[in-house]
Amino acid sequence: MKKDEKDEVYYAQMVPVPETPLPAVAPEPWGKTRVIGRPLPRVDAYERVSGHAEYASDMVFPDMLYGVILRCPYPNAVVKDVDTRQAVKMTGVRAVITGESKEADVLWPWSPDVKAKLFDPRCRFEGEAVAAVAAETPYQAWDATRAVKVKYDILPFVSDERKALEAGAPQVHKAGNKVKTDKYARGDVVKGFSDADVVLEQTYRNGCEIQTPMEVHGCVAKWDGDSLTIWESTQGVFAVQAQVAQVLRMPLSKVRIIDHYVGGGFGSKVRAGKYTIVAALLAKKTARPVKLFLSREETYLAVGNRPPGFMKLKAGVKKDGTLMALEFTGVGASGAYPAGGAALLDWQVRDLYACPNVRTETTDVYINAGPARPFRAPGHPQCSWALEQMLDALASAIGMDPVELRLKNVPAYSQGRAGNPPYTTTGLKECLEKGAEAFGWKEARKKISEAPKTGHVRRGVGAASCLWFAGGGGPPSTVIVKLFSDGSANLNMGASDIGTGTKTVMAMVVSEELGVKPELLQIENADTGTTQYATPSGGSKTVPTESPAVRAAALSVKRQLFEMAAADLQVPLVDLELNGEEIVSVKDSTKKIKVTDVTGLKKRGVLVGVGYRGPNPQNRAVNPFAAQFCEVEVNMKTGEVKVLRFVGTNDSGRVMDRLTFDNQVFGGITMGIGFGMTEERVLDRGQTGKMVNRNWHDYKLPTALDVPVDMLSIPVELVDTEANTTGAKGLGEPVMIPTAAAVANAVFHATGVRVTETPMSPMRLVRLFAEKKA
Amino acid sequence: MLSNFSYIRPKSLREAVKQLSSDGARLCAGGTDLLGCLRDRVFDIKKLVSISGLKDLHGIKRTPDGGLRIGALTTVTEVAESALVQQEYPALTQAALEVASPQLRNQGTIGGNLCQKPRCWYYRGEFHCLRKGGDRCFAAAGENQFHCILGGGPCYIVHPSDTAPALVAYEAVVRVTGPKGVRTVAVEHFHVLPSVDVHKETVLEPGEIVTDVILPPAKGLRSSYRKVRARASWDFALVGMALALRFNGDVVTRVRAVLSGAAPVPWRSKEIEDTVIGQRLDDEVISKAAVASMIAAQPLKHNGYKTILFRGMVEEELTAIRKA
Repeated sequence: MKKDEKDEVYYAQMVPVPETPLPAVAPEPWGKTRVIGRPLPRVDAYERVSGHAEYASDMVFPDMLYGVILRCPYPNAVVKDVDTRQAVKMTGVRAVITGESKEADVLWPWSPDVKAKLFDPRCRFEGEAVAAVAAETPYQAWDATRAVKVKYDILPFVSDERKALEAGAPQVHKAGNKVKTDKYARGDVVKGFSDADVVLEQTYRNGCEIQTPMEVHGCVAKWDGDSLTIWESTQGVFAVQAQVAQVLRMPLSKVRIIDHYVGGGFGSKVRAGKYTIVAALLAKKTARPVKLFLSREETYLAVGNRPPGFMKLKAGVKKDGTLMALEFTGVGASGAYPAGGAALLDWQVRDLYACPNVRTETTDVYINAGPARPFRAPGHPQCSWALEQMLDALASAIGMDPVELRLKNVPAYSQGRAGNPPYTTTGLKECLEKGAEAFGWKEARKKISEAPKTGHVRRGVGAASCLWFAGGGGPPSTVIVKLFSDGSANLNMGASDIGTGTKTVMAMVVSEELGVKPELLQIENADTGTTQYATPSGGSKTVPTESPAVRAAALSVKRQLFEMAAADLQVPLVDLELNGEEIVSVKDSTKKIKVTDVTGLKKRGVLVGVGYRGPNPQNRAVNPFAAQFCEVEVNMKTGEVKVLRFVGTNDSGRVMDRLTFDNQVFGGITMGIGFGMTEERVLDRGQTGKMVNRNWHDYKLPTALDVPVDMLSIPVELVDTEANTTGAKGLGEPVMIPTAAAVANAVFHATGVRVTETPMSPMRLVRLFAEKKA
Repeated sequence: MLSNFSYIRPKSLREAVKQLSSDGARLCAGGTDLLGCLRDRVFDIKKLVSISGLKDLHGIKRTPDGGLRIGALTTVTEVAESALVQQEYPALTQAALEVASPQLRNQGTIGGNLCQKPRCWYYRGEFHCLRKGGDRCFAAAGENQFHCILGGGPCYIVHPSDTAPALVAYEAVVRVTGPKGVRTVAVEHFHVLPSVDVHKETVLEPGEIVTDVILPPAKGLRSSYRKVRARASWDFALVGMALALRFNGDVVTRVRAVLSGAAPVPWRSKEIEDTVIGQRLDDEVISKAAVASMIAAQPLKHNGYKTILFRGMVEEELTAIRKA
């Protein structure tokens, strides 16, 4: 019987309000899934492709001004005088702020311990902020910035991490150029080396790599009274919120950060930038919204990089392939401020292969260049460049297949962590075995070894494997799922989708539990004003962090729905299951009700479920593993290397969406090829210390022609019931860690020449080939 | 961002020449290089003279003597896709295909490709270098890995064009119209060494416009263009070479070997030509030619690899053309 509409309204208020999920009730692991694991296209593909998606860069307000930052053109200088007299008079200019301006008297936290004035007269890197302008058009703002006259005292600089600690090197900071040194040891490396049959030692170097996301860094800042809203291109709206609130000394409730779509970050957008603060200050001063997006050139100088690294690795092995000892020293450069220049640089030496005797020492140094920011698997591709080439060299030295050597040293537990916790799952062995099989590793090696070495175009194959330090995710995360009376739903989560497909994966989780078609799901995310606290999307932790919280929220809704359905059907709650759009009793299939007919749902209009990310398992390490295999063709006369094919195998736990999974693998290999073969920041080290290749032409990202068409992604899908309630581990970072080393190993296989410095360009290779001949 | 300038799109060549003769005027054909130069503030302009309205400067036609006339406004893509060019001037086809990226080839013109500004990162960057009116070449002692090993000083640019070496190998000429009328210049003599004039890259006088590229008949020539680069697309040559040879049986009776990525101008390697002319292209001659190609080379601190790379590439290309 249909009740009076008025009754609906009034009686709905009498429905009891549910509590959030029951404590300590862990959901069962998924068995066979309906939606999860399928190759589902992006839920926001249409928006992204059609241009409907609103990125922070798209934000426009009718009364909006444009901000530009004046940057120091020298790698080391002191600002003596800033003359803005001409600039302030220029057409369209509404504000000019400098280190002297009262409103700019705020401290910028370079690290938790190191703070400096926002416009610090001491500029320690090219691109440091000196002043800023807001004007009616971006062109007027740029022109006015150029009209600001700055007098600098130019100081000597140091650009090379290998020279930073030399006596007499210009000091980036008063206390010297060393940020810190970290040491680690287990076992007895001296004994390990003496017990080894073969001991090799080699130095390696990687160039500095820049993130260069498609969408440049920046934001639009808008004040409403004492409340500030910022549309920022970011990987984590809550991280930006916290930083803005801290710097501007505001309550979190008055700072709202929004970014529904972001055009890439690769780690360089996990925190706010000086540009965020500058935009807010300019907006405050002018009482107008201010848009401040960096030029491409500025992003090369001032918003992060993968630090240049110099590494030495000594390794000892028995003839049977047992690793006896590893000794690693690595220097990485934070840049001008502490920024994790050597962070995780030694991790794979410590943890990837079973080895009883390990000693590592990593030193982070200052140089006069833009500070680093996390870049896709910080420290790892660098370490892999050394370790995986060393494994290859050891295999060669003892006459063992390099894949065999790796398989011989697969660890059962995490050796690098205190207490040696076991991994929840370790797919290292499977990654190597399945990859080798799919690649035709043995056959390819045999065929190449047997081919005559007469021509100057040679083929080679190479392999490398890795683990990623993080990738397990963890609390906190709070997610809300709402089921509407017509069976459609809303997913409310704080996390950003940085282009990896987070929204799609989370929509699939909701769909899996509630049967809601992903296209009927409204997704509301990455807005500190309307969603709940989440950590930035980075560290390959978004899926393993957020998907269990989304699942918990969906399960909470499901439980409420089933309670209501049980009342309608007069059957016990535990007998109910969801079958398409119906709730059915497993004991009596005639007892069923359509979700949209459930009385309680109709009355209340919405069911709200809150889900929290639960704790990680105790005394367990949750890490993804991977292996990659490639074949190259090398021209011995010209040093040209053509990458012919790649196979990537990844143990990242459960495959959530096969399409986004493969996207990550192909994208990671592409980025790894860039790191290993084409990309490098070039500083005018002997003269001015300025970066000379600050654009997309001179800084050579790989193009479609630089990566093979033939790329194969093979998931190694181990069931992980311990890691979290969805069984997914991270993927975004392991996919690029071993790529460069795999190519280097293939080049060695083809030519007998070890390339220990990135990038492996024809420029470097012809020199090495000539040296070998001579 | 950019200095203020006026924009003019003349309807006739005569008008274009007149407009271009005024102070601070620059010609714009495809604009791919000009816009970059303006944005990077390599130079300022007062007037931009677009010649996109001059339809006569567009297209590829046979000349009465069996050669080709390519209008200066013909896009690099049109050159690359032309069947006429492909049949008889394969080195030009290959060179055109090696230019920049598909987007830039679609927009950039053959005339512009010959007249482009150098890609030296000091010249394009925030450095007041010799070529921009400063008193110092930053590449001489700086990051000179992409700079010249032949013909350098006092500035060490390399000429960025891929099509120019191919055109020199075919002995092409450009037709130029200016305030004083029409003249023709061999492409080989079109570019200017910094030792002659460090402030200009071509012999064009103020107001002069390249209108056509004229290729003599190439029947019986074997030709090729090869480019080695750090990245497979959108990159300039580390080293490159255009070859155009005529054989009588096995013996080389005519040869042009023109290097790119070597010098501030497309560099005709007399050393290679002298080594192979009148010879059978056997391994010994090829090897000698490769060594000879770099005899005059004067590498800078970071571009010594170019001599090795050139020798390897010259060997490879001479061997390939022998078999062709």
